[in-house]
Amino acid sequence: MWGIFLESVVIFKNYMGYHENHFLAGIYVFVLLYLWLTEKDRRRRVLFVYAPTLLLFLFFCPLFRKVFVRLMEDSETYYRLLWLLQMSIVSAYGLIRLMGKHRRIGLAAVCLIIIASGDYVYDSPHISKAQNAYHLPQEAIDIVDLIEPEEGRITVLVPADLIYYVRQYSTDIELPYGREMLIERWDYYNAMYEAMEKAEVIDTPAFVELTRTYPCAYVILKEDREVLEPLTDYGFSVYGQVGEFVIYKDMTLQDQ
Amino acid sequence: MTVMFGFLFWLILIPFCIGLIPANFILPQKRSPGFVLLSGYFGMWALFEISAVPAVLWVEYDNFKIASAVFTVLTLLSAAAGIALLYRNGKAGKPGLIAGKTRKRSEAGKENDKSVSNVGGLKGYMAASGKWLLYHTGIEWLLFFGLLAFQLYKALAYASFDGDDAYYVVESLIAQEAGVMYRILPLTGGSTGLDVRHAMAVFPMWTAFVSVRAGMHATIVSHVVMPLVLIPLTYLLYYEIGRNVFRRENLPVFMMIMALFQIFGNVSIYTNETFFLTRTWQGKAVAGALVIPALFWVFLQIYDKGVRNGRTDAGLWILLICINMTAGVCSSISVFLVCILIAVATFCLAVAERDWKVLFKVGAACIPNVVYMAVYVYMAYSYLLK
Repeated sequence: MWGIFLESVVIFKNYMGYHENHFLAGIYVFVLLYLWLTEKDRRRRVLFVYAPTLLLFLFFCPLFRKVFVRLMEDSETYYRLLWLLQMSIVSAYGLIRLMGKHRRIGLAAVCLIIIASGDYVYDSPHISKAQNAYHLPQEAIDIVDLIEPEEGRITVLVPADLIYYVRQYSTDIELPYGREMLIERWDYYNAMYEAMEKAEVIDTPAFVELTRTYPCAYVILKEDREVLEPLTDYGFSVYGQVGEFVIYKDMTLQDQ
Repeated sequence: MTVMFGFLFWLILIPFCIGLIPANFILPQKRSPGFVLLSGYFGMWALFEISAVPAVLWVEYDNFKIASAVFTVLTLLSAAAGIALLYRNGKAGKPGLIAGKTRKRSEAGKENDKSVSNVGGLKGYMAASGKWLLYHTGIEWLLFFGLLAFQLYKALAYASFDGDDAYYVVESLIAQEAGVMYRILPLTGGSTGLDVRHAMAVFPMWTAFVSVRAGMHATIVSHVVMPLVLIPLTYLLYYEIGRNVFRRENLPVFMMIMALFQIFGNVSIYTNETFFLTRTWQGKAVAGALVIPALFWVFLQIYDKGVRNGRTDAGLWILLICINMTAGVCSSISVFLVCILIAVATFCLAVAERDWKVLFKVGAACIPNVVYMAVYVYMAYSYLLK
């Protein structure tokens, strides 16, 4: 039970970014204590004081965590219990009460505290200038525009960089494997993925044999991807190039 | 033009008309355009759950087309009912469904108005505006709208990568292009058995429905249109929460602080603030940013006048049921989460008020969650019975 409690503590710390010197949780805890001492309205105490405190207690309660994980069959989403605290609403409520009549100076101080304790979301490495209306990499769109069939669907082998995007643009492109292979903790195995991404140098004969089991109409490789022998020696032809991605077409499939 | 009309019709007009139904069943002083639009959205999503979940679970071919047809009929009927209530109310001379009774203006507001009428002309208008900016809440409101515009600009001009889009956004696109829900594996395109946990959370299907009706690619709708709709909608909800707990002059302060918490709430990838601005279009983000705060909103209103108001507040109970159903639309886990929040808050209220009847009333509003979980368990584990 103690171990489960400590796991909950780690989840809480990770959630609040404590290890990266973010202290929004500090504001929340301070406000909660302040409201415990000063909030007189009984019904608001229920929503802004009693319920959050009980939820925090449940979050750290090992028995509750065991039941939650058993019911959800998923321990990775336990942190979402903290969404119920709605820390920003409770914090904002308490801070405004604390400001009293000093509205403007109080607001300025609160803004500074939030900026200093939080983390600017648009600094995230996952956010970048949109290249098109789809908010997908332009290279993925250009590649699909080149190879997309007029009718029906085709299977295409793409590098890991494109796996997330290709089918967000067109579902006529099927993949031998998808995003599930890129998440190591999910621990999936796929021979095609191993041959494409894990091998230091692509073993062309075995690789080509695998692509034809699907069969992949096109294979897309980064131009600097090392191959034992050129794909063109095995019935593929270079169909085009978009940025760093070279598109190979399997000519043997066309013959069939 | 058709695209714009499609969005305006399905994202503004229809939810607004549906929202007139719960507005008809609450006290006039609790009514506001924000209440109507928000409750309309939750009502619309509840109708989508009724239309889509049975189709996902029990219809194999063209299930998206069937669900869309049923949903269209249900929403149009509900919107028509809302308009009929508005008309009937107006004809009977009752307080309006949209704004209710005119709220008393604060003394500050009156002074402000007087200064406008005394001076007159452009000069007077400028003087009054300056006064509003400097001495009242003008600067705070301007700063808040600046922060909101900044977030909308970022949502429009910047792309936020999230791996889960390979599942959720592609599900929407498959529904739009192939007319089927959850029968094709989004990650690769192969056929698949029903993944009940994801299949019952039909929010991506609602995105697909909007995409089809407006005639726009589902990925653009997800990444661009949804944030432009859901971010203002979330702030509208915060505004309504603020209206319930603060005096008028503190409202823009609350809104500004909330906006800053969203922008600087990225202390980890797990917070609901991070989800709100980086994966706005995903059901779980909607659960964290809209559904859970909406419970605070409803509970503040129910608690405000006491739960014993009974029939007067029937609209709030309808709204609570719709919010519970929306949780199921967003994600399966949300259903469980909102049950926990409701149970905890209601238990605390029952103890504080020494009124145990409230447990039964709120419990009755959670029946949709119980049904959802029962169907989930049956679908996920029925193979054990065979």
